[in-house]
Amino acid sequence: MRAPEPPRPIEIGRANEHDVKIRWKDGAEAVYPARLLRLECPCANCVDELTGRKLIQEGVIAEDVHPAGIDPVGRYAIQIYWSDGHQTGIYTWERLYDLMRKL
Amino acid sequence: MVNQETVQDALRVVIDPDLRRDIVSLGFVQNLKVHADRVAFTLKLTTPACPVKDELRKQAEDAVRSIPGVEAVEVDMTAEVRPNPGAIGRAMLPGVKNIIPVASGKGGVGKSTVSANLAVALRQAGADVGLLDADVYGPSIPMIMGATERPMPSGGKIQPVVCHGVPVISSGFFVQPGQAVVWRGPMLAKMVEQLLAGVNWGELDYLVIDLPPGTGDVQLTLCQRIPLTGAVIVTTPQPVAVNIAEKAVAMFNQLKTPVLGVVENMSYWESSKTGEREFIFGAGGADRISLKWDFPVLGKVPLATTVRETSDGGRPIVLDEPESPAAVAFTECAQNLAAQVSIHNLKSETDDLVKITF
Repeated sequence: MRAPEPPRPIEIGRANEHDVKIRWKDGAEAVYPARLLRLECPCANCVDELTGRKLIQEGVIAEDVHPAGIDPVGRYAIQIYWSDGHQTGIYTWERLYDLMRKL
Repeated sequence: MVNQETVQDALRVVIDPDLRRDIVSLGFVQNLKVHADRVAFTLKLTTPACPVKDELRKQAEDAVRSIPGVEAVEVDMTAEVRPNPGAIGRAMLPGVKNIIPVASGKGGVGKSTVSANLAVALRQAGADVGLLDADVYGPSIPMIMGATERPMPSGGKIQPVVCHGVPVISSGFFVQPGQAVVWRGPMLAKMVEQLLAGVNWGELDYLVIDLPPGTGDVQLTLCQRIPLTGAVIVTTPQPVAVNIAEKAVAMFNQLKTPVLGVVENMSYWESSKTGEREFIFGAGGADRISLKWDFPVLGKVPLATTVRETSDGGRPIVLDEPESPAAVAFTECAQNLAAQVSIHNLKSETDDLVKITF
């Protein structure tokens, strides 16, 4: 059993002042609106670990929320430091790749 | 007329069997000098522990000797280990070229003995090797490596204890004898960071890390904080060990850390009188996961009283009994590991690494 070729980004940068653009190895390319990424934060404060139910309250997230910085996590994910101080979410390559379908 | 070009062309037929490319395009051929009918050059390999070193040398010599007009060939062998190109987090350990965790899943399979013998065998081959004992719950490296001194502070960092030419740091150095580490996750993460960044590791070709058993906080912190070249899995042949080793493999897959290969420890017992082999823990465990997960078996190490004795005595068996079957197996494991490191580094050099510009 060989693990299937997982998605891998080549470049993660800015689409504009706030939004994130990711270029994937398979040629796909997408712009992730900043607020959508914030609402998709996978951390345990934003998503119930057992049920997967969203705990994040859309209303309290500022309209102009945006990443203040992005750091790599090992070989498999990024950590986003948000303008509202939130920073516990680890966005894996798989998750970001799947998110393209929601854009 | 012999010239640089004819020699290079002749050398192109020599293929490194591990890297599967010719030694000229790999950049191994250096300092090539041609004086009339005499040729001299250096073969610079990617590891001093290369398992096919002698073979490559002979093939290169033969290839040049077969050029009409060449009378004498002189080959100088050297090696420079290439760094893992995953630059992420490099700042934490700037002088360390390759970081190799040794993991088992199940405890008691001889992971620390394997780690120590791998480190010393690589050192014996001429590489600069460090050994970090991150098994916070049961640090056994100080005993196996015979560390009698404690590490001393130096320039705001900790100076490792050098045992048999290998700088060693163990979590056990910092815990009072008889005390146990009963910690929650965040403290373990902090300790791992200290053992990596708070230590004067210096320039190393390989840093071998002896992990605790399981798939917990220490493993997670390592995979997140530093770019690992790849992991070594240790198991015995028996299903209960192999099944749990697979969980370690699954963890590394999930964290996108390559697995460089598996060492089957306590593989069999060989009677010194009859030479008959007994498969005490069964057989075929390492072969099975190697096939299933597509990584090589680095070697199979037999059970031997001398392995236990040398480990308890602070002198890993590859030091004093290099001809014993177990030591030969450990050395083979180390050579195959070094070859796998070279293969993976060459592969990731050609792979695109993620560029973050946000």
